[in-house]
Amino acid sequence: MGTQRIVLGLAGLVFSATTTGGAGWALAAPSVETITRNCVVCHGPKEAGQAEIPTLANYPAKKMAEMLAGFKADQKPATIMNRIAKAFSDEQIAAIAEHLGTK
Amino acid sequence: MTTRRTLLETGLALSAGLALPRIARGASPKVVVVGGGFGGGTAAKYVKKFLPAAEVTLVERDRQFVTCPFSNLVIGGLVKMEQITHGYDKIAKRGVEVVHDEAVAVDPVARKVRLKGGGVLDYDRLVLSPGIDLDYEGLPGYSEAAAEKLPHAWKAGPQTLLLKKQLEAMPDGGTVIIVAPNNPFRCPPGPYERAGMIAWYLKKNKPKSKILIFDPKETFSKQALFFESYEVLYPGMIQWIGGKQGGKVERVDPQAMTVEAGFGEEKGDVINVIPPQRAGKIAQLAGVTDEKGWCPIDPKTMESTKAPGIYVVGDACIAGAMPKSGTAANSQARNAAAAIAAALEGKPAPEPSYANTCYSVVAEGYGFSVTGVYGATPEGIKEIAGGVSKLKAPAKDRDLEAAYAVDWYRGIVHDAFG
Repeated sequence: MGTQRIVLGLAGLVFSATTTGGAGWALAAPSVETITRNCVVCHGPKEAGQAEIPTLANYPAKKMAEMLAGFKADQKPATIMNRIAKAFSDEQIAAIAEHLGTK
Repeated sequence: MTTRRTLLETGLALSAGLALPRIARGASPKVVVVGGGFGGGTAAKYVKKFLPAAEVTLVERDRQFVTCPFSNLVIGGLVKMEQITHGYDKIAKRGVEVVHDEAVAVDPVARKVRLKGGGVLDYDRLVLSPGIDLDYEGLPGYSEAAAEKLPHAWKAGPQTLLLKKQLEAMPDGGTVIIVAPNNPFRCPPGPYERAGMIAWYLKKNKPKSKILIFDPKETFSKQALFFESYEVLYPGMIQWIGGKQGGKVERVDPQAMTVEAGFGEEKGDVINVIPPQRAGKIAQLAGVTDEKGWCPIDPKTMESTKAPGIYVVGDACIAGAMPKSGTAANSQARNAAAAIAAALEGKPAPEPSYANTCYSVVAEGYGFSVTGVYGATPEGIKEIAGGVSKLKAPAKDRDLEAAYAVDWYRGIVHDAFG
């Protein structure tokens, strides 16, 4: 846990100097914790009782990174994730997948 | 200990903006949240989560919250009222004190909230999530009393059921008029989803009827998607009269059951009037609104630019590119909670990440969405990426988005109240 925090903390520092997705303005980027709190609103935990939207519990990090990159590039079919994934840099996608996904 | 506490409470604690954070002074910080909708529920829950030492009080008039999201589906008959009605028990179990009372005054200098029941709550940080107030004076002929005949149904609850009942009593071949408001207003796609849900009911039960939407605007949220869906699902049933065609309604008459617009005077069997709006009353009373009646905020923290220590989230605030939606309120509240927790610990506010997702369901198995990811800039909250569902998408996508809408609903209710 401690190690993961440190790694993510460093990753956060890296994007903060560089990108905020595809927008023309560049500001300090939010932490991966802050970003991913938005994800669980639709991809709720099991107890939210969802039927169709995939749960992120036990979702392999590697697959999540591939899916997000595919959505961003419009190479994977999606109804909504293609629009959302474009908000994030490749580094952010890697950090999101590492944070939410399982090893 | 006693001496120290007394000293703090009588002397230092009264003056705002102390150098030492509240926690370092050994006292439990007090956070009061006014309004128990998606914004207020989320704010209360997440402040407690981020800062368990905080004493969090949620002030909400009603024992139960009826969500505006999916209330159009109640009107259409796809969802029951009980399914969109939620209590506050789970939030209370998280350690939030839920007070069923009404905030009637805020003293932003002494940092106190006065309640209708006579109580006074001290706060270190206050979150106002009061939603909207309907501006009855903004539309000649309309009033709170007139709303019993011409329902707005823009605050879910008895008004939702009143509109539904009127539709059920209407004869086949009748005319339903929807009076849409000008920007800004709660739930930008809402009037047009409502037209779809009313059409869903009418098509099955009163297929000779028609729906007229009177609108002062020339464009609206997800417009092309709504028009496409009306044509596919309800050909000839829904007519939209926009600003250019004289859609701006100048007056309504509850006795004659008419609306007067540049387009002409129209008689309706059911008239749904969605009047102009402004921030909920307590925001006006607290002095955090601008001349147009909405609340300017710091895009990074959601803190009012009018009164330090007060954070305004949800429909009441001016959130730049973000629409006035439940998901926007939820996201703003979560970010505000993080900023509040940081401030109370004497840390800088974390960089926020805002998001919105808003599904419209216009028939069983037919939904579409708008979504956005937003960031704070010095000029306000701006969209990083987002957009609406594709036009001419295959039926399976519309069906999937209708199913996703249900899951979104479950998810946001869980995040805000679970």
